Amino acid sequence: MQRPDWAPDTIDIERPSVARMYDYYLGGSHNFAADRAAAQAMVAAVPEAPLMAQANRAFLRRAVHHLADAGIRQFLDIGSGIPTVGNVHEIAQQLDPQSRVVYVDVDPVAVAHSREILAGNEQAAVVQEDLRNPEAILAHPDVRKLLDLSQPVAVMVVAVLHFVSDDDRPAELLRTLRDALAPGSYLVLSQASDDGRSEDERAEAERVYRRTDNPLWVRSRAELTALFDGFELLDPGVVWVPEWRPDTPESAEDAERAVFMGGVGRLGD
Amino acid sequence: MTESPGATPCPGAFARAWAKAVSGTSYLPMTQAQLEALLDRLTGQLAGALLTEPFDLRAGHRVGAELVAAHIASAEGLGRTVEVIQLRLVRDLGLVAEDVEDRMARLLAAVATGYARALRDRTLDEQESIRRAAMRARTQAERALRASEARFRHQATHDPLTGLPNRTLFTERLAAALNEPGRGAQRVGVCFLDLDRFKVVNDTLGHQIGDLLLATVAERLRKAMGEHLVARLGGDEFVILVEHTAGTDDMVAVAETALAAVRTPALVDGHELQISASIGIVERQVAGANPTDLMRAADSTLHWAKSAGGARWSLYDAERNQRELARYALSAAIPAALERGEFYLDYQPLTSLRDGSLVGVEALVRWRHPELGVLRPDSFIGLAEETGLIVQLGGWVLAEACREAEAWSAGGVAAPFVSVNLAVRQVHRPGLVQEVRALLRQTGLPPERLQLEITESTMMSTAEEPVRALRVLADLGVRIAIDDFGTGYSNLAYLRDLPVTELKVAGEFVAGLRSPSVGRTDERILASLVSLAHALDLTVTAEGVETAGQAERLRAIGCDAAQGWHFGRPAPADRILARIR
Repeated sequence: MQRPDWAPDTIDIERPSVARMYDYYLGGSHNFAADRAAAQAMVAAVPEAPLMAQANRAFLRRAVHHLADAGIRQFLDIGSGIPTVGNVHEIAQQLDPQSRVVYVDVDPVAVAHSREILAGNEQAAVVQEDLRNPEAILAHPDVRKLLDLSQPVAVMVVAVLHFVSDDDRPAELLRTLRDALAPGSYLVLSQASDDGRSEDERAEAERVYRRTDNPLWVRSRAELTALFDGFELLDPGVVWVPEWRPDTPESAEDAERAVFMGGVGRLGD
Repeated sequence: MTESPGATPCPGAFARAWAKAVSGTSYLPMTQAQLEALLDRLTGQLAGALLTEPFDLRAGHRVGAELVAAHIASAEGLGRTVEVIQLRLVRDLGLVAEDVEDRMARLLAAVATGYARALRDRTLDEQESIRRAAMRARTQAERALRASEARFRHQATHDPLTGLPNRTLFTERLAAALNEPGRGAQRVGVCFLDLDRFKVVNDTLGHQIGDLLLATVAERLRKAMGEHLVARLGGDEFVILVEHTAGTDDMVAVAETALAAVRTPALVDGHELQISASIGIVERQVAGANPTDLMRAADSTLHWAKSAGGARWSLYDAERNQRELARYALSAAIPAALERGEFYLDYQPLTSLRDGSLVGVEALVRWRHPELGVLRPDSFIGLAEETGLIVQLGGWVLAEACREAEAWSAGGVAAPFVSVNLAVRQVHRPGLVQEVRALLRQTGLPPERLQLEITESTMMSTAEEPVRALRVLADLGVRIAIDDFGTGYSNLAYLRDLPVTELKVAGEFVAGLRSPSVGRTDERILASLVSLAHALDLTVTAEGVETAGQAERLRAIGCDAAQGWHFGRPAPADRILARIR
């Protein structure tokens, strides 16, 4: 008997999960042996991997700070992973406890873990859904309950788009999200970029991620800039993530080692 | 705390150096400034611990734990911390103590210990938390899988249109009812229901209305049948399972209820639809029953109800079923019987009412069945017509009749024609003309000595091909007779178009002639028919003539010929011919 398409996923912790590999890069212990083995293989191929994760997380922190300062009180974080240290709701709710945050991830374990962390937090929720299914995200009752889409929302698509192939039409996915947003909303986007990488390094990284459920799709600065279609890019545009409004000038040194490029765009009035 | 007189202490510089040393060792959820502020505070604690008497290990432990709590929690973070404290703390802060080296070693040990303890605890907590999350996710996935399996099971066992159980579920329940241990002595019943002329609804109002009607009927049956299982087998077929009955009366009551539920006019999308149903009922003891036989029996019983006109129930009758099965078996055996030569022909005389001469004979097929003895056509022709085997059998009869009839003229006497019945299928089959022509050529039988009998219903179809074929045959000289005239539609119009030679008037009219009073009407009808036929230049033969009285009255009317027991029963050709020789 063929399994019907609405049958649920099974949970297999013997397979590495990108959410838990990311946690490992960030120095967390929310991971299993298979995740660590895959993460270590990645580090062997691309020694900067932990640095990449950290730089990306710091980009997320600075972007949320910036948006909160700009008055944003609603956040939709798609591909949130294991919401451990320095997550969106921690940053946003530290600045304003009334900030509302919805996390979205496709990984059921990450979602279960998020649910535990968010227990008792009325202003935050987690939804198990796929970035490739933006209609379902936007229509989800928890999203509808917490977020008022007639008001500006910051949509975070941070360190996840490199798991979406061109066949899945990332530009269309983002357009669907954009069309649901009110003027004054923001898109925060970052993903692995191949600008300046050698073929060998790229092939090796892709080989490692092929062992997970999520193969890797790197994109150039031009491609990423095009994904902000309809948004006004804030300064300094799409850059290596450490270069995006760094805390100190030194922290932006050797920025391309971070592999991730990102930017923040604002939806005009 | 005392200050070194020689150097300029600079606590800020130490914290900055420390912050720089640990940056990048792990993800720190804070700005560089926040990090420096934190480390500046910890610097104060370290300096205090270095100088306080007596030396307190716990101060070092606390610093180590705070570092971990602030997410400076990697192995590199600890290594760099130890290094920077050892190298710079005393110097940058201008600390002076008697046994500062000794104290420094103990302080670093305490920081490392506190750090390692806190990191271990945190690691274990995180491991526990992610395992709990995995477990919860797995539980949830399994629950969702069970729910989806239940859903899948429901989908697999229910009909999407009506929501009723489908054939699969019905079969399961029926099998369970029959196989339940200890139930052998109890009784079980099935009503097999089919809507009458449902196809008309689909054809005239469309499938959408048809579907809505099915859903309405389904809902009514479900409500009316209460605890009994109502399933939709497909199309407009429904079945009701009664798992416990006390006898056929129970099942008849169930069937009556179901018929009443269907009979109520249904308002479907603005159309008021009046529909009826037919039901086949089977009710029997559980012991010895099996689902397949039971459903087959219900199916044939349903057909009895249908062929009786529908809007009714029929109760299964084992003897009737046996008879039907036997008929089917018989019809299936026809081809083999033809090959073995089990068929033969008898002939019945057609006698002139004018002079008593033998004008013709009607060929009648007989089956010398190895087990059942000689069978008359009424026991196998009907089914042969239904199954199409009549074409093969009829072809043999025609050929055999031509072959035998040719020999009859050998005596030099005016030989009678042979009259052969043609079934509808034979007349409508292309190639009839060639078949007859070839037979006449092969046997040498003159065409005018062959008469083909067709029924009125043969000509009911509007097809032109049969008419053309008959006309060609008539032009050859073959006689065409209409059999059983007067019982069907008796459409006079085709008599105008058809090359008919003779009308054979059905025995019903002749039967009336036996009693003078009753037969008055029949006699008038016959007289009119005869004068009509003669006006059209046709001859008339009366069938079923059994008495001399009937023969006399027919002669008086002007009827040309007669056939029946009075003039001779069917018999082998030589016996008939003996009369004329």
